[in-house]
Amino acid sequence: MKRVWCAAVVGILATFAIGALAPSTGWAVDRAEAEETARLLAKLLKAGRLVIEQNQLLIDDQHKGEKGFTPEVFERQLVQEFRQLTGIDLSKLHSTPASIAVPSLAKELLPAFVLASKDVVRDAQVVINQRGIGYKNFIPATYGSQAAARFSKQSHVRLKQTTLGPRNPKNEPDDYEASVLKWLSGRPRAEAYVSELTDHGQTLRVVMPIYYVPACLTCHGEPKGDLDISGYPKEGAHEGDLAGAITVTTPLSLR
Amino acid sequence: MVDYDRDSVLSMPHTQRTTLAAPPHETGTTAPLIRLLVEWASLLLMAVMIQGCGLVVDAVQLVWPIATNELDAICARGQVRVGMAVEPFQPFVFPAIYTDEGLRVTGLDVELVREITAALSQRCSNTKPIVPTLHLIRFRNLFLELTEGNLDLFVSSISANVPAPGRIGLAYSNPYFDAGGIGGITARPDVAERIGANIRRSSESAADGNTMTSAFSGLTVAVQEGTSAQFYAEANLTGINLVLCDSLPAAFESQSPPIDLILGKQPVLDYTVRRVRKDWRLLRLDSGKPLLLTHEQYAIVTDEESYRLRRFLNDLLFRLDKSGRLTDMRQRWLEENYAYPRRAATEGLPFAAEKMPQHYDQGQCRLADNRSR
Repeated sequence: MKRVWCAAVVGILATFAIGALAPSTGWAVDRAEAEETARLLAKLLKAGRLVIEQNQLLIDDQHKGEKGFTPEVFERQLVQEFRQLTGIDLSKLHSTPASIAVPSLAKELLPAFVLASKDVVRDAQVVINQRGIGYKNFIPATYGSQAAARFSKQSHVRLKQTTLGPRNPKNEPDDYEASVLKWLSGRPRAEAYVSELTDHGQTLRVVMPIYYVPACLTCHGEPKGDLDISGYPKEGAHEGDLAGAITVTTPLSLR
Repeated sequence: MVDYDRDSVLSMPHTQRTTLAAPPHETGTTAPLIRLLVEWASLLLMAVMIQGCGLVVDAVQLVWPIATNELDAICARGQVRVGMAVEPFQPFVFPAIYTDEGLRVTGLDVELVREITAALSQRCSNTKPIVPTLHLIRFRNLFLELTEGNLDLFVSSISANVPAPGRIGLAYSNPYFDAGGIGGITARPDVAERIGANIRRSSESAADGNTMTSAFSGLTVAVQEGTSAQFYAEANLTGINLVLCDSLPAAFESQSPPIDLILGKQPVLDYTVRRVRKDWRLLRLDSGKPLLLTHEQYAIVTDEESYRLRRFLNDLLFRLDKSGRLTDMRQRWLEENYAYPRRAATEGLPFAAEKMPQHYDQGQCRLADNRSR
């Protein structure tokens, strides 16, 4: 198995070549374009999770009814967070300077993911704006599951959150993801990702690790085995431990 | 009736213009008289029919009963419309939350709805299973929505054996929970002590009206509006300041006036003080048993005329009871240690969210009137 460990994002950007996409005759995309798009999609999901995390206290405020955390507010914060993570301004995606290479596939899929995410936040409004109810379970993980599922339903590209021993059985890793997660768990934390061709070169798999930050530890930290607010046993994790990964599966051709 | 204006009639195609013209045989001197007679006869007939409308409908039912068979209607629709209280009555109905699967609601009553839906799917023998469409509605509006025909049934720890106004035209299934009743909680140890002392002094049974009247006298007592606790307090407790709240969370939050005691469904209050509001305590007798002011049975509510549906529900409840399934359900939700978000993710049901923003706010509390009762 050939595994490419990309130590720096810059390296990937350098190898990225302008892909030839032929939507009228089917789906075909070259690896570099697919890989950069996958990386950006994973970063965008990560940014969305961060936005939810930053608004968690507001969302769970039981004394406040209308929270003002609308899909539009979420979108603004998402765009801002994504810009901080990647330098790409989603609001000016089609006029991105040439110095920042954004593949055409990404220009198509990143806005689609933003729309899917906004739909999730829109649907959750009835729960978010409940007054008198504190914890509503609208957390980075549940947002991520739904946003990824909605996006994947309308795209050739499949986005997923996964981890070893997930709380949500639907996030169970497949064999490939499990092998990468095990490999990642033995390595120090790094801002990097795994990229690999599978299915005889027909499918590109990109796995971007997520690490625990202090905010996660309320539910995932110590003491291990104690039930957290949502009723799951805590994992006993520490800051910087591998929490899981965002995986992106892209078919390089569909015939 | 469509009121054509002249220009539009004139601009219609030829065929339509012809149909609007008066038929030739009605021209003549007798035509207006005949038309007048026909109109009067029609009016008379309509008046008779409106008066006897119910009889006509009944006659149609006798001849063609399938037309009003609510069970067949559910089968044909492929969905059963179920109402539930948007205010939490945990562990019967928990607050709606977000899960990996989207918006969900869970609880003992939701599990019961799953059983009802499964049984309906069997009964209907459709190619697709019957889908429950949950409508989360304010408790007090459940009754109205059912009588207006917007729901097939509703279930939210509704007390079947408490006579109440505004419930005409409704009927109850056999009970699925018979250990209900009105209990009380307080955050003030002195209130709990005072009530306990009153009961100890009384030689009568704990729920005796006079004992309760003196035990609660002078206290500010909150109840959820429209529930059996309100009817009990209004009927039995004199000398209290009765406060009507839109929900239990509103009662907890009320500062103006501050609440001494909350009366409500004992199983709900018990669950709430054990899991959510540990700063409040359940009123208990010296024996340690909860103080119960009434005994209540919870049942499923249907339209009074939904006989077939009610018989179907009673059959189902009988089977669930005999198989021990009802006991298991009660134990799972009332006694086991669990967190509802997890159960919501695995076994909760989605709900129709479009009406919920208008419905859900924990609401407020207000004095029932300006004087002590």
